[in-house]
Amino acid sequence: MNDFGSGTQAIVLVLFSTLVTLTLLMCVMAGPDRDDLTNFYTGYLSLTPLKNGLAIAGDYISAATVLSTTGIIALAGYDGYVLAVSTALSLVLLMFLLAEPLRNAGSFTMGDVLARNMPGRAVRIASCVVTLSATLPFLVVQLSGAGSLLTFILGMPHETGARTTCIVLIGSLMIIYAAIGGMRGTALIQMIKIVFLLGTSITVAALVLNRFDWSLGEVLRAAERGSGTGPAFLQQGLQLGTSATQRLDFASLQITVILGAACLPHITMRLYSARDAPAVRRSMSWAVGTVTTFCLAVIVMGTGAAALVGAQYITATDPHGRTSVLMLSRTLGGGAGSAGTTVLYAAMAGTVFITLLSSVAGMTLAAASSLAHDLFAHSLRRERAAPRTEMTVAGWACVVVGTVAILLSALVQNWDVGVLTTLAICIGASAVAPALTYSLFWRGFTRTGLLASLYGGTACALVLMVFSKAVSGMPSAVFPNADFHWFPMQSTGLVSIPFGYLAGWLGSRLDHRRRAAESRENRRLYEESEARLLAAAE
Amino acid sequence: MTHPDDNRYPPPASPEWPQPPTQPHGYTPRRASYGRDPWQESYGHDVPQDNSYGYDAPSYDPYGQTAWRPPHARDPHPHDADLAALRSAYQVLRRVSTLTALGSFVVYVVLSCCAPDLMASKIAGELSLGMGLGIFQLAVTFAAVLWYGRSAQHSVDPLARAVRERTVRPSRDTGVAR
Repeated sequence: MNDFGSGTQAIVLVLFSTLVTLTLLMCVMAGPDRDDLTNFYTGYLSLTPLKNGLAIAGDYISAATVLSTTGIIALAGYDGYVLAVSTALSLVLLMFLLAEPLRNAGSFTMGDVLARNMPGRAVRIASCVVTLSATLPFLVVQLSGAGSLLTFILGMPHETGARTTCIVLIGSLMIIYAAIGGMRGTALIQMIKIVFLLGTSITVAALVLNRFDWSLGEVLRAAERGSGTGPAFLQQGLQLGTSATQRLDFASLQITVILGAACLPHITMRLYSARDAPAVRRSMSWAVGTVTTFCLAVIVMGTGAAALVGAQYITATDPHGRTSVLMLSRTLGGGAGSAGTTVLYAAMAGTVFITLLSSVAGMTLAAASSLAHDLFAHSLRRERAAPRTEMTVAGWACVVVGTVAILLSALVQNWDVGVLTTLAICIGASAVAPALTYSLFWRGFTRTGLLASLYGGTACALVLMVFSKAVSGMPSAVFPNADFHWFPMQSTGLVSIPFGYLAGWLGSRLDHRRRAAESRENRRLYEESEARLLAAAE
Repeated sequence: MTHPDDNRYPPPASPEWPQPPTQPHGYTPRRASYGRDPWQESYGHDVPQDNSYGYDAPSYDPYGQTAWRPPHARDPHPHDADLAALRSAYQVLRRVSTLTALGSFVVYVVLSCCAPDLMASKIAGELSLGMGLGIFQLAVTFAAVLWYGRSAQHSVDPLARAVRERTVRPSRDTGVAR
């Protein structure tokens, strides 16, 4: 499908190597001292709000967001527009609801926030389990996608061997970034990535509009024609269908995204590196501004891909349209072989590459931090580990998480695992969001309630997902030839989010009855720490 | 949009009050960062807004002066009153902003699902009502974030500062490390 001269590919390859060399160099220079935990986990709280905001936005806009959202817009029109809006608003919700108390309550990981009033190993272990089960699917889906994406960009044959090589390559780089760079190093890469990403997407969006003489109506008309669906392109229903259940499924997916996407541990972890509540507010303003601008650009790019490339060419390369943004940049440049195409395509390919690298590195770091801080330092060693040991463990945890992710990705690369993104977001919305909101705002929350919402929400999302239509029983499912589904939707939020909140509430009620003394103690601890939670007063 | 800043008390530390000689000065680094408050400097009503971050601006140190005491400071639980005010200020801000953002989006999604014909009606050329509303929400986001920042700085930040200053003092005097 990639009909370029070797010139473009040589340029792209040189660009990739330059990017890798530069970012590796920056990572090593920005890396933390060997025995300073604060530096490794939060980067000394030394980032200005603008820089921290860009890093948050960089972590938030993963490669899956960039590629899938553009693809969904190009193929499903209106459904994709709503997805772009919910993606942007999710971060707004995080800023309005959780960001400031979260910053005051936490120090390094999600476990620090949840365990602040309820000391004990069970809470730490639960938060580590949930962190891993939310970040690993996201990691696997991006790494396994990286294989086919890189072979597409570089014009290599689509063989399993070539893709596995790409996965291992990207995976090793991600381990190195996370283990050496720590929070500061990955923050730098996220900043570079978001600047690149914003620049390229705004340029491409402007070129799309320019092609149609800046007339929105013309773009939409062309997109209706190019998508081959006519007016249905601008109505809800192309992505999931228009029956009552499918409409409910669509609403459920959007609500899940707005509640869950921004609560994922690798994003909340960035909040702890702001220095105080006003700074985190300022950072989030920058992050929200960046993400919203990007989402507007994505809407134009996706529509432009439908209008200029055409749905049948997009689906011929990838049924989910994940290559649409690359194909669009190639079409916009003015045809194969021209200088414009070469520059634009190389820029877009480089952007996608660095986006991929930085987002997997950020997630690896979040998972490894939770392993080292929650599981090792606070559960196994009961807070007696020396900072130096914890740092070493965190480094090795990056290697372990990365290796597991590489192995899983290589295993599932021939399957259509896009459903794992939905799974991660569902776990975020039905386990992480209830636990965080209860823990920060409800003084009657107890240990049983916390464990119930964490484990219950995760298990509910996981079980429903396995038996959903997205895994079996549909041509576009993970196992198209099998059918063991009994949950008639493609995302689980409609059931699992209320379940997570209910489990937390019921567990706490149970504690109030059975263990009145302990729950009174929890309440006392909450009230004692309220000054810290609201005002950062020690 | 409402402006939940009805809890604007007490006023910031007044600079004329002398520093008590017994006040020790050992601050931890994280707490010291509150000394230079970027919000007060960059958005203060009478301060020129030339430095939007304020971190590099010359800092003043509110811990150096005694905090202004509200009239009820000799109540049995002055600290509790401050904390309650802060709590309710945060609650108002959080509820208004979250419910607005979440509510408008839920209405938008429900309308998209239940009234597709309404959302497909054209408002300007090819632009349908649904698309228009979607893009409008994204555009309004910028304004909403600005509004949130200003409201929080008016209603929450002064109270948070008051609570911080008050908790620092008793724990020093009684020697209880908290």
